[in-house]
Amino acid sequence: MAAEKTRDHGRRLTSGRKVPVWITGLAFLSANMGAQEVIGMCASGAKYGIMTAHFYWIGAVPAMIFVGVFMMPFYYGSRARSVPEYLKLRFDEKTRGLNAITFAVMTIFSSGISMYALGLLFQLVLGWKFTACVLLSAGIVLTYTYLSGLTGAIYNEVLQFFLIILGFSPLAIMAVAKTGGWAGMAARVPDVMTHTWTHIAKASDNPMGVEAFGLVAGLGFVLSFGYWCTDFLVIQCALASDSMLGARRTPLIAAFPKMMIPFIVIVPGIAAIALMKMGVGYTLPPQPGGGYDYTQTMTTLMAQFYPAGMLGVGVTALMASFMSGMAGNVAAFNTVFTFDIYQSYIRPHQPDTHYFKVGRITTVVGILLSICAAYLAASYNNIMDILQLVFSFVNAPLFATFLLGMFWRRATPNGAFFGLISGTCAAAFTWLLTIAEGKGGLIAVLHTFPSTMAQNFWIAIFAWSSCFVVTIIVSLVTKPRPESELTGLVYGLTVLPTDEGVSWYRRPGVLAIIVAVVLVVLNVWFR
Amino acid sequence: MSGSDNMLDLRLPSGLFFVLTGAMLTGMGLLDAGNRAPLQQANVNLDAGLVMLVFGGFLLLLAWRHRS
Repeated sequence: MAAEKTRDHGRRLTSGRKVPVWITGLAFLSANMGAQEVIGMCASGAKYGIMTAHFYWIGAVPAMIFVGVFMMPFYYGSRARSVPEYLKLRFDEKTRGLNAITFAVMTIFSSGISMYALGLLFQLVLGWKFTACVLLSAGIVLTYTYLSGLTGAIYNEVLQFFLIILGFSPLAIMAVAKTGGWAGMAARVPDVMTHTWTHIAKASDNPMGVEAFGLVAGLGFVLSFGYWCTDFLVIQCALASDSMLGARRTPLIAAFPKMMIPFIVIVPGIAAIALMKMGVGYTLPPQPGGGYDYTQTMTTLMAQFYPAGMLGVGVTALMASFMSGMAGNVAAFNTVFTFDIYQSYIRPHQPDTHYFKVGRITTVVGILLSICAAYLAASYNNIMDILQLVFSFVNAPLFATFLLGMFWRRATPNGAFFGLISGTCAAAFTWLLTIAEGKGGLIAVLHTFPSTMAQNFWIAIFAWSSCFVVTIIVSLVTKPRPESELTGLVYGLTVLPTDEGVSWYRRPGVLAIIVAVVLVVLNVWFR
Repeated sequence: MSGSDNMLDLRLPSGLFFVLTGAMLTGMGLLDAGNRAPLQQANVNLDAGLVMLVFGGFLLLLAWRHRS
């Protein structure tokens, strides 16, 4: 049921194509800006400092410029309704199938990570045992998915986006003010926590444990471009636009508020570290096995700065966002498994009632798998670390496939398929052969990373490079699809949109330059 | 009513939501004016409630202008 609704919703959302650009821009931003982001980025702020802002200032925002200016003509022009559908049109059925499987795995992890964080929140509010709290989360999501499906998901997310901005910016302001403003906060924490570029010459200089290349290539190029250019929950919002111009402007308009998000979600994490040094009675809870449980930074700060009333609003905002995020992921898992895997490859040509039953069972299985993922997430002291690990397996190789698929007409279906497989395997081997904070290294330990985030960046780099190289090699020795079938899908075979007759301030190129200038200013200011 | 029409009408329900939440918080801030968080001296409920009221009112204004 939920799966049908999702599919129906997607179709309705993209078929009409008359949603104004300010809504698609907000939706584009909100699709990723949930409780997971708030909790995870605040945790990373406390663990890694303002370097976390690289997720936005060399990561998300340049990627949003790229997708708006360069990739959107092919997504929107292809009339594909989703990212897997584009893969099918550009390459073939098996590439789409492979993407469907990895995407299904990603949704399970994503919903599991939310389930874990929601469980923590219940534990904080209700004081129950963790297992009881996770089961409670699972029960709520099951009910939520059966009752509502995804109809109006975007609508819901935009409302939650407003609530998160209004509900959490006061916390950022109060926490920083308490530490004596920016200067007071900076004086109380190590210098590396308030500088984004100064301490990245050597990996050992900063808590993230990355040097400039790992950061720019792993986070900036592969992970961020991979996420923002290939995640179909995000891209779908731009495809709902009323015109090609609107679709291209969607990520560019979303980039403006996106640049400012670090001040709301990351800065409170840094303030939390400063507060701990002030001896005012605030401390992060310890993680079993040593260190702090950074995932709880945001919630413990709320408890210190929000009185009964506002605290309720904040906790409710987080819970609502986790639940809809989880329900969205479980419904997406359901859709992808039932239609893109089961119906396409396992048992096609069955009556609708059969798929309906399969969909119901899939939902339950999806939630059970999410519970397992939740326990895995519990072993990380920062949910952002495990989230980026999943992205480095799934989105990083996929981004190489898309780059080659969109800009090199010689890329063949077999090239894309084997490239993707090699990319995912490269990610797996990098994880199995290296270790960071006790994670990975199951086969052997060839290298030790100072942090799991550094490990994630390098997994992403190896996954992307492997997919890129293997796709090119296999493409050169296999037969490409005839060019007549690739019209509208590849650079060189597609009529590119021109901006003639569009007033200058509405042109994607002009918007992109303005975004880039502001971005440079931010990077220099907080260097 | 199709999904897209609903999306166009986002201003109205969001506006109502924030006016309601803002009114509740403002009410709490006024009635229980001594209510303070451990590390904060300001009346957070009142301040945050007023901001939400203004934001909700702004959305309702947009919705009203769109209709007429």
